[in-house]
Amino acid sequence: MVKTKTILIAVLVLLMVVVGILATLFFPSEEKKVKKQFALLSEWVSKDPGESTLTMARKIKSIGTLFAESCDLIDPVHSLSGTYTREEISSLALRSRAQFFDLSLKFYDLNISFPEKGVAKVNLTGKLKGKSTLGEYVDETRELDCLLKKIEKKWRFSQFEVIEVLKK
Amino acid sequence: MGVKKRSPTILLQRLEAYGIRWKKGKMMLGDLRTKRRIRQFFLPSLTFRFLIRVILVAVSAFLFFSYVFLPLRIKGNSMEPTYRNGGINFCWRLHYLISKPKRYDVVVVRFAGSKVMLLKRVVALEGEQVEFRDGKLLVDGKAIDEPYVRYPCNWNLSPRQVERDCVYIVGDNRSMPIENHYFGQASMKRIMGVPLW
Repeated sequence: MVKTKTILIAVLVLLMVVVGILATLFFPSEEKKVKKQFALLSEWVSKDPGESTLTMARKIKSIGTLFAESCDLIDPVHSLSGTYTREEISSLALRSRAQFFDLSLKFYDLNISFPEKGVAKVNLTGKLKGKSTLGEYVDETRELDCLLKKIEKKWRFSQFEVIEVLKK
Repeated sequence: MGVKKRSPTILLQRLEAYGIRWKKGKMMLGDLRTKRRIRQFFLPSLTFRFLIRVILVAVSAFLFFSYVFLPLRIKGNSMEPTYRNGGINFCWRLHYLISKPKRYDVVVVRFAGSKVMLLKRVVALEGEQVEFRDGKLLVDGKAIDEPYVRYPCNWNLSPRQVERDCVYIVGDNRSMPIENHYFGQASMKRIMGVPLW
């Protein structure tokens, strides 16, 4: 009797674990979906030294799909502030990537909140590292506040704000 | 303070008290009880009490190393020669629990979280005026002695006042051009703690 009960509990626990794993895999939370957008942005901006033209074209084309029709960039220090269209972002990415021999963009400490329905606010640390075609090493770390909007069931970047951690 | 030397005889006597003896250069583990205790120490049986103990130790270690004593890996050369690239350290978070940062303190400053942080030195406090003139640091118009700056520096920065609840932080390595060095005033709220060594 005791043995049957133990087996039943074990089976139930196992079933719950399996259901949990499947639910996480097939029905990801909104937070995971937002995180995935950042992972894709990181993957598509990054560049390997021997990147082929085909891979580059695919990445540049894909970058645009991550953004809303227009995206605001707020940078109090640099002169990059402004509103950019998807096409402008793709062309900016193309030009910027061309200046690098290898490039890596990584995001850390993503603090995600949903201030209203269809809007996600993310505070994070972005790290850009690479070697330019002139041989200069770039290693920049910045804190960012990003705004994503849910458009056509997909989270798209609509604002990037660079936070001034150290004010000269 | 000297180190007290213990004779090997005393050590052997102590070990014998635990049931451990040496015979022809080989360690004999004594009676069955001692053997069992030693085996139990190295290969504990998976009892409920043991599992609880393991979980408690793991949770305590996780909390301690996540919130109090953060492990750090130094990347970059902005604090050279005080802290070298690739060095390992810990951030002691309770250091500023009752005190405030002082001049010359090396502090750990956070960005959005604790995965990527800055390691810099406090050179000026709130209300003070900071300036760089031909590589010399001037606080409130007076040159500050900086023995930790070993590399030549030719920075020039116009005077500016450190805002309220902020400290002015700079790296020890100022050999690079001023625009390539990330420094400035940081809010006290961003200071996570100090490196352990």
